[in-house]
Amino acid sequence: MTPEKTDLSAQENKKSALQQLLQFLSSMQLGLILLILLAVISVFATLQENETAISNIYHSWWYLGMMAFTALNLLLCTIRRFKPLTKLVFRPQKLTSPASLRKLPHHCELPLTQTTTEAAALAQAEAVFQRQGLQVEVNTGPAGKVLFAERGKIGYFGSLVTHFSLLVILLGAMYGSLTGFEQRSGGLAGDHFHVAEGGFRVDIKDIRMEPEEDPTVRPRVFSELEVTKDGRQLAAGTVAINQPLRFSGNSIYHTTFRYVADVLAKDLTSGREQQLKLWDVDRLQLDREGKVNLHVMQFFPNFSMRQGGVPYSKNYLPENPVLVGLLIENGIAVRNVFLRLNVPEVINTGSGEVELLMSGFEQAAVFTITRNLGRPILFSGAVLLIIGLYLCFFTFPRRYWAVFDQDGGSLIIGGRSRNRLLLAKELEQLQKDITSRGGEADV
Amino acid sequence: MSSHIHVSPTGLFWENTFFNLALAVYLIAVLCYLAHLLGKEQLGRFASHLLRLSFLVHTAFIVTRAINVQRVPFVGSFEFGNMFVWATVLVYLWSEWRMQEQFYAVGAFVTPLAMLYLAYLTVVPLLFPAIRISRVHSRLAPVLQNKWLTVHVSTSIFGYAGFTLAFAAAVMWLLKRYLKSDHLITRALPGSKTLEEYMYRGAAFGFLFQSAMIITGAIWADISWGRYWGWDPKEMWALITWFVYAVYLHARFTRGWTGLRTVVLVMLGWVCMVFTWIGVAWLLSGLHSFG
Ligand code: HEM
Repeated sequence: MTPEKTDLSAQENKKSALQQLLQFLSSMQLGLILLILLAVISVFATLQENETAISNIYHSWWYLGMMAFTALNLLLCTIRRFKPLTKLVFRPQKLTSPASLRKLPHHCELPLTQTTTEAAALAQAEAVFQRQGLQVEVNTGPAGKVLFAERGKIGYFGSLVTHFSLLVILLGAMYGSLTGFEQRSGGLAGDHFHVAEGGFRVDIKDIRMEPEEDPTVRPRVFSELEVTKDGRQLAAGTVAINQPLRFSGNSIYHTTFRYVADVLAKDLTSGREQQLKLWDVDRLQLDREGKVNLHVMQFFPNFSMRQGGVPYSKNYLPENPVLVGLLIENGIAVRNVFLRLNVPEVINTGSGEVELLMSGFEQAAVFTITRNLGRPILFSGAVLLIIGLYLCFFTFPRRYWAVFDQDGGSLIIGGRSRNRLLLAKELEQLQKDITSRGGEADV
Repeated sequence: MSSHIHVSPTGLFWENTFFNLALAVYLIAVLCYLAHLLGKEQLGRFASHLLRLSFLVHTAFIVTRAINVQRVPFVGSFEFGNMFVWATVLVYLWSEWRMQEQFYAVGAFVTPLAMLYLAYLTVVPLLFPAIRISRVHSRLAPVLQNKWLTVHVSTSIFGYAGFTLAFAAAVMWLLKRYLKSDHLITRALPGSKTLEEYMYRGAAFGFLFQSAMIITGAIWADISWGRYWGWDPKEMWALITWFVYAVYLHARFTRGWTGLRTVVLVMLGWVCMVFTWIGVAWLLSGLHSFG
């Protein structure tokens, strides 16, 4: 028998069906199958249009079900491994015999001079082990005194912590999506909007635009927001790119900005006037019957025309602001309408004339409002994952046993570690140190 | 739209000089490593010295580039590719030192891979006009001005470097296995067990950093876009790569897989990694927005 048998397979002969099922559900075979399946399906999914993949695959019941199954696998594995692992870590087998040490893949045998006693040999080994930073103890068993030395046992928890962290991450994601929401809203300075699912109101106090040095780069927009609930302030602050406003699991992100045109529409027949704020995609009815409409297309801050008549904005400087619309009569696009700043445009609707005048424009900001209560859980999971992986791969728990073989008059040292190279190297070094010390002692 | 930075002629001169010089010395180092592999054993140490020298010159290039663009140079294929090659060489040199310079033969496989990556930045765009690697000095778009992005990129280059090392060891393992045992190359290669350990160390190192990369990327996305995971092809391919290495590590760690099966997994992981880096941008580029 070799020390520290960690797998449980030996005891798994007679089991009930339920136990066998649990065994399978917690097994690494299943874990590997799930990982491979998730990988293959994901490869397939990335070949689809992203929006299609999200709705048809990633958010489908079977994909999420597979994730849940993975979580179950991890959970059961974590539970099942917990007790044996703590036993392995805190109650290691400290006794062994020369025969079982000889069976370890990594062991060495130091023939010592006739005069060396068991006590002297073990004392030498103990001193060398301690110098290597190992914790050493000597116990007496049926085969005599056994030296047991170990180091870095916290590393044994690596896989447990890693698995647990993945569970925490999945849990955080699930909790976040079950309790979360997402909404898109926007407005001009002075406007406000309600976030029904959050039960709060957002007031846009101010919108500031900071042009970049290079005017072809989108200017940065800073919005001063105040969030209230029943008149009580919940949060206030500036929102910009990379600078969301966060409060109790909610976040308000800057998403984009729009120009909104102030347009005065005057019915030249009746003299009726109407002051309008026109956003992109707004529709403006020009006649009484609703047959003549203006579809607002786009606002260009620095309007220009490419060859072939395609309008574009030279940059973001508002040097030549133009609002472009499409005139629709009886459902048919008739012509483009270009509203320049303070230049009236008269449109004949058939039943009369309408004058449109853009008198100014403003910036509106568009926000995405989300709630993600899973964020702290996700973050803890992430930190745990890194710790767990570090323990798995960068700590090298190792154990050594040494016994004095009375018959051969030799000291046998065996070691166990995941890191075989390190073990071989360290064993060699130990061997060298003990031999040289032994030499000294015998002089 | 990205904004160009005006760079002084002197800045430009040093940047280009360091880059070309690094490229040239890298190439000579590769040749020396290969010569070592093919029997000129005494060249191993020389190759290693050359590699260290070219690494220093490459570092000088990255520093000048950083000065010229006034930030850490990790944006766009050209800058990221250089950081990635730089990290690969650093990790290899570190491993060479850790292994007490016993195995210069590993360098004969890692450094050509690094050259392959550099070829993608230099020669490949000349051969395939569809692939454009811009060297323009541009200012960071506001959405990229985030310290988590810096951590994200720094972890990704080390993740990729670890996987590159593992892949090189996998190739060597195959040669060791399928070439005759008295072949020149076979004799220069470390033993199969050592190569498997190399593969494992590289993959484990890469896996830790790949995990950190996915996490920091998610944190950045959460701050910038209001979502930490968007099922974007680039994100998904990073995750697929992670899955493949997770399978490899489990199979080796607990199921005790060794040999060909693990070699195949490591190679598959590398293919996924390269696809995440290059393939997604050029082959799935119609579907998503960042390269
Ligand atoms: C989606 C991800 C993962 C799944 C579904 C999964 C699943 C499993 C399962 C079911 C086992 C078998 C438990 C047993 O039989 O005792 C296992 C073992 C193990 N897994 Fe994972 N795992 C995942 C990720 C990871 C990661 C990222 C690591 C880090 C390297 C890891 C490290 C380990 C280790 C070290 C063991 C052996 C346990 C031991 O001997 O203590 N797992 N895994």
